[in-house]
Amino acid sequence: MPGVEIKGALSMQIEIAGFPYLSAILITCVTGLLVILLLPEERKGEIKWVSAGFSGTTLLLCVYLFFAYDKTRGGLQFVEKVPWVPSLGIQYFNAVDGFSLPNLLLTGIVFFTGVLTMWQLQERVKEFFALYFLMVLGVFGLFVSMDLFFIFVWYDVSLFPMYLLIAVWGTTRKEYAAMKLTLYLFAGSALLLPGMIYLYVHSGLNTFDITALMQPGTFTTAQQKFAFPLFYVGFGILAGVWPFHTWSPVGHAAAPHSVSMVHAGVLMKIGAFGVLRVAIFLCPEGWQYWSGVMAFLAAFGIIYGALAGLRQTDLKYVIGYSSVSHMGIVGLGLSTVSVEGLNGAVFQMFAHGIMTALLFSAVGHIYDRTHTKEIGELGGLSRVMPVASFYFILAALAGMGIPGLACFWGELVVFIAAFKVYPVRTVVALLALVVSALFMLRVVQRTFYGPPNERYAQLSDVSFSSGIPRMILAGVLLLFGLYPALLFDVIETASIPFMNGLPR
Amino acid sequence: MKWMLFGPETYIFLVAFFFLILSMWRGPHSEKDHVLALALSGLGVVISLACLGAEGLLFAGAYRLDLFSQVFKVALSFGLFLIVCLCANVEEIKRRYRLEFYFFLFVCTLAMMLLVSAQHLLTILLALELSSYSLYILVTLRRDEDMGLEAGIKYFLTGIFASSIMIFGMALLYGATGAVYLQDLAQVLPEVMGTPAAVIGLLLTFGGFFFKLAVYPFHFWVADTYQGAPDQVTAYIATASKVAVIAVVIKLIAAVDQNSTYLIHVLAVLSIASMTLGNLAAMVQKDMKRLLAYSTIAHSGYVLIGILSGGTAGYASAVFYALALLVMKFTVFLVVVVLSPRGKNLEREELAGLHGRSPLLALALMVSIFSLAGIPPTIGFMGKFYVFMGAMDKGLFVLVLIAMINVVVSLYYYLLIIKAAYLGHSWETPPAVHLPQPMRWLTGALIATMMVAGFYPTPLIRLSEAVARSLM
Repeated sequence: MPGVEIKGALSMQIEIAGFPYLSAILITCVTGLLVILLLPEERKGEIKWVSAGFSGTTLLLCVYLFFAYDKTRGGLQFVEKVPWVPSLGIQYFNAVDGFSLPNLLLTGIVFFTGVLTMWQLQERVKEFFALYFLMVLGVFGLFVSMDLFFIFVWYDVSLFPMYLLIAVWGTTRKEYAAMKLTLYLFAGSALLLPGMIYLYVHSGLNTFDITALMQPGTFTTAQQKFAFPLFYVGFGILAGVWPFHTWSPVGHAAAPHSVSMVHAGVLMKIGAFGVLRVAIFLCPEGWQYWSGVMAFLAAFGIIYGALAGLRQTDLKYVIGYSSVSHMGIVGLGLSTVSVEGLNGAVFQMFAHGIMTALLFSAVGHIYDRTHTKEIGELGGLSRVMPVASFYFILAALAGMGIPGLACFWGELVVFIAAFKVYPVRTVVALLALVVSALFMLRVVQRTFYGPPNERYAQLSDVSFSSGIPRMILAGVLLLFGLYPALLFDVIETASIPFMNGLPR
Repeated sequence: MKWMLFGPETYIFLVAFFFLILSMWRGPHSEKDHVLALALSGLGVVISLACLGAEGLLFAGAYRLDLFSQVFKVALSFGLFLIVCLCANVEEIKRRYRLEFYFFLFVCTLAMMLLVSAQHLLTILLALELSSYSLYILVTLRRDEDMGLEAGIKYFLTGIFASSIMIFGMALLYGATGAVYLQDLAQVLPEVMGTPAAVIGLLLTFGGFFFKLAVYPFHFWVADTYQGAPDQVTAYIATASKVAVIAVVIKLIAAVDQNSTYLIHVLAVLSIASMTLGNLAAMVQKDMKRLLAYSTIAHSGYVLIGILSGGTAGYASAVFYALALLVMKFTVFLVVVVLSPRGKNLEREELAGLHGRSPLLALALMVSIFSLAGIPPTIGFMGKFYVFMGAMDKGLFVLVLIAMINVVVSLYYYLLIIKAAYLGHSWETPPAVHLPQPMRWLTGALIATMMVAGFYPTPLIRLSEAVARSLM
């Protein structure tokens, strides 16, 4: 008889500390989804207000959690544990720690601002917001879940609405992009599921509980070395790791604005977060073994994304390739096997998420007015719409790593940590970034300065109300740029104990 | 109360007989007959449920009742009920055969109920043939004679070929072991497992069942038969009939499974071949029924993974998968039957604009397609996950990996269906689809079942485990 059903269930009891805030976030998403589904299609305005209301509620919950988290105690907090399928060792287990909190906050911000960015949508509004809520539900679920099985479920829930979101409401080559993106990302899950079941079976613990599986000694070194690449590649596809990144620029360019925002801003973070939470947590020895390869791929991704971005003529492609490059920085941070590297990587996840969301949001406004994303056709926009241009330029500067904006800190910390371990790769990657920064400036110069295109001379600028989402994003960029300790303090509550617990 | 043991079978037999008499008595009367069949098959579900706890041996041990057989009988009668729900409008079937159509549906269900309980090789054979012959006739009932006949003849010829191979295999098995009861076979077989007669006999016997299950080298009939048969009959073959065959294959393997690695390897190869072939061939299909036929072949491959994993967990996962298949395949066929144009098969492109014509059907199609593809949180995902758990427990990592790659491959054509339903704009906008109220409830219930059982599968998993344990 196989061993699965004989072993006793491990710590399978209900365990809920206080009000279930994390479930509340998920339930808010589900309720929002159901309310949207029940509203008739014609009442577009109400659907948007409902979406804004429910997404705003999740944002408030995320902000509350971020500040209510006890930094002196650290560890997992807001734990909710309910046995789900006892015979298969599946639990509904939610908790947050210093790694997931920044991502949770990021998701809340991008979710809410994404709804506001799509305020002008007129076509199939109900279906759009329903799918949008479903996607974000998966994202929230993944960030709060501490059970491998649920992580996989949430991973897929966040992916499959993407196909329709891009194929129906997208723009450039949308059907091709949607199919490519979906198949690529699900190819990642084809590696994840066998990997997860492999670990489950070999642990012999009959549980998918990450906290139980991550205890040192659960897996042999050989098993960790074998399983790590499965998770690294599986999640890495979503994180845009070179050479599995090709879906990313195509997908981002084709997706509607808010979906690009969530996708580049949050979904790619799911990939990086999955690498951290699953691959690194469960296979730390595999992590140390493969870290050189990770660093190489990350450095190559930084260079490749930066250089490929130079040749693009489509604004969204430029952002798409810069995402590949910036996610490479996250990968580089994760590959250093050090506290600083982890700190920088998680900080960079957050900062890059906000920055890309702002970029896509700004491009969204420009595209809605001019109906083009071609850099060559635009020009001198800063005179026509100074406010919209400001948001884009601000985000572009953040991407270049200008001090005072959030991305600076993430990049700085990652590069310092990486330089200690992989000096050559880091220096080359840095050089590539400098080159790309120059070219980003050229994009800014061509799009927003220079002679204005007469066709767009009469276009309106961002009004105050439709500028709200961009204001929020820009404000967050500035806040964490000026006061990074707010975020680093939280991340350190997770990274320091984790690195101390590592077998060396 | 011995007759209670044979309750569902007796009842279905009487109903079938009733339809036979009725067909001689008077001509068909579509609406009345449908309501009648609906009520009678609904009652059949109730009776099967009432007999759920029956246990015992009948007919000199040739017929065994346990939780395994009774759960599958409930599933079969439920499958029959679902199919009858689709028969409100049987335009595709020649008018004068409409009563016989119900007769054969019930007879076929009866045969499958016998099949899941049969313990004697000859009983198994008889039950299988009875169900096969009913299906051969049902397939040819289509109004378009060319299509129906072509499908029927292909099905019939390959079917008897497979049956004769199976009989030959059983004869060899008998020669090698001298056993005709499954429980005897289980005892004698390990001693003679090395002899060629036993191995070949076993493989040939399985060949007959793999034909019905549409596993790789025996899959030729599937696409043409699915395409040519009336929609309701295709739905029946794809759902209820598959469930019964999965049940009997589980039972056979459980009886002869002596942890023989040889058998596991053969099954693993067949499983990989079926998945890969089914999914690759389905990609290029335009006809929805042909597409579903190839996806059936692929799904047989996934089921085989659970069966070959063995043990309570493996068989439980196969049982779970069979029940999941019943619901999700049926939901797709519900959409196909409702949308099929008169006298023709539904093409994938004809789904265009479905989201505007009937949002409910579009949603049902999306959920069931994602379920077939194995995307969480649907029942189909849980089925695949459960099956993979068993296989991994056996150390079959590569098999699981190949199966997952197949899932991604299959996603391509499943997404094309969803794309057609949610994106396509058809040129001459077809009218909105009118669904009667009961059908709307049924569709809603199916969607809810797939989602809820996918998100909270615990009760269904407990049931499957109990079923598998009763088998051991």
